[in-house]
Amino acid sequence: MSTTEAYAYVDPGSGSVIVTTVLGLIAAIGYTFRKYFYKLKRMISGGGSNDEPKKDT
Amino acid sequence: MTEIVANAGSFRDPVNRVYEVSSTDGNNRKRILRGVNQDALESYQELATQSFYKRLVEQGHVIKTDIAPNDDPDALSVIEEGWSGVLEHEAVSFVSYPYEWTFSMLRDAALLQLHIIEQSIENGWTLKDATPYNFQFVGPRAVFIDIPSFETRVEGEPWGGYRQFSSMFLIPLLLKSHLGIDQLPILRSYIDGVPPTEAIKYFKGLSRLKKGVISHITFPAMVENSIAARERDRAPAQKRTTKGQSNAMVLGLVQSLSRLIKGLKSDIRHTDWSRYDKTHSYESEDFVVKKAFVQKYAAQSARDHIWDIGCNTGTFSNICSPHCNLVVSLDGDHDAVEKLYLKEKEEKSSNILPLVMNLSNISPGQGWAGSERQAFDKRKDPDLVLCLALIHHIRMSANVPNILFLKWLRSLNSDVVLEFVNREDEMVVKLLTNKKEQYADYDIEQFIREAELFFTIENREPLKDGKRELFFLKPIEG
Repeated sequence: MSTTEAYAYVDPGSGSVIVTTVLGLIAAIGYTFRKYFYKLKRMISGGGSNDEPKKDT
Repeated sequence: MTEIVANAGSFRDPVNRVYEVSSTDGNNRKRILRGVNQDALESYQELATQSFYKRLVEQGHVIKTDIAPNDDPDALSVIEEGWSGVLEHEAVSFVSYPYEWTFSMLRDAALLQLHIIEQSIENGWTLKDATPYNFQFVGPRAVFIDIPSFETRVEGEPWGGYRQFSSMFLIPLLLKSHLGIDQLPILRSYIDGVPPTEAIKYFKGLSRLKKGVISHITFPAMVENSIAARERDRAPAQKRTTKGQSNAMVLGLVQSLSRLIKGLKSDIRHTDWSRYDKTHSYESEDFVVKKAFVQKYAAQSARDHIWDIGCNTGTFSNICSPHCNLVVSLDGDHDAVEKLYLKEKEEKSSNILPLVMNLSNISPGQGWAGSERQAFDKRKDPDLVLCLALIHHIRMSANVPNILFLKWLRSLNSDVVLEFVNREDEMVVKLLTNKKEQYADYDIEQFIREAELFFTIENREPLKDGKRELFFLKPIEG
């Protein structure tokens, strides 16, 4: 017995467009805020700030 | 002479297919070629000029790749299969799967996936999928291997890999970190990941308020259930727009996932094996003898792969490591392997690949036709297997007769260093204390008789006043 849906015509996974739109809109607010915050901080401190969020590795 | 075989797990993306080229003259050299169609070939040619991509390759995050020359006979054979071009990837010496990785291995692969997608989007590219099967571990370092996954991004397109990332990376990590549920059997069963509609069933009461659950499980499950209810039977499917997502939306989502995953933890518990380096039952002199025995046979000849089965926290894997190209270190105790991984990933050039594996139930062949994901013991034969103080667990905990275990060891076509633990040893006494079955067949004389059916015993070395004995076994040909 399978716990996932058997192959059918409905593709609930296509809802991820809706999910990424809603989550993306919320995340974009924080992203834009952080981007301008660090830009402003750099301008104030004369461009030498190392406070930019570190890239994930 | 070479033999070219299409990889059984590489068929899902119609624009390319991986081929493995091996020599029939018995050497271990293997080439990994990838046939690509015209679009994928042009896309790679463009990608190869991008500085973000070159940087990812230089940093070792993405597998080294080149276009195979036109006069390469192996590449020509791949082209004859109907492809427009051929890429050659640096070969990964031993393939492993997400259901064999510890929590931190999956977490590190997830963070690397997010890093690669972020770099790509910032440079006008994207990745068409986001599955952990696009990663391999080279020693203890995750490497992205699916080059045709890179494609140029159409402005406004959503991140198409989000749901796959969520089902295959994020949800298993949340289950382990928030609820303590072992993610490995779940990943082994759900080969395409755990959909949010299933994941939500694990979260009850206040656990639904834990970090990331509402956004990445409850809400997506609600959306998916609502679509399933609205579009079932004869109701037409609604077209959902795939435009209108700015870079800020996609990058914001990717970065928030990255912050969420960095905050996920799974503590190492004190198990029988996770502190083996401090709790083993040897006096120091015996331990020195055991280490010297292992070292002698690891260094005896040029070894490509050594398997340390039942590795605990890797004491003997470390002894073997300088004498071979790769040590595959296996143990069924997740936290012991996790400890080994966390240590090895700090070593710059470690060649130890730690994997979680219950030896009485090794990874089977599975996926399409049972061959999309290879069984653990069908991937590549080792040159030496360390099997130290394991056999009594196989016999008395897993109830596998010694002869079956020896037969399986012989099927690996490898030399073996095996430590037999006698009935008088205090660890066997402990194991038998509360067992009705006392395994009368478990004694050294019978073990030797059975071992000699498959192996030549080349050397023996008693330990702990004869309570244990080390054997060096050579497989009998034929």
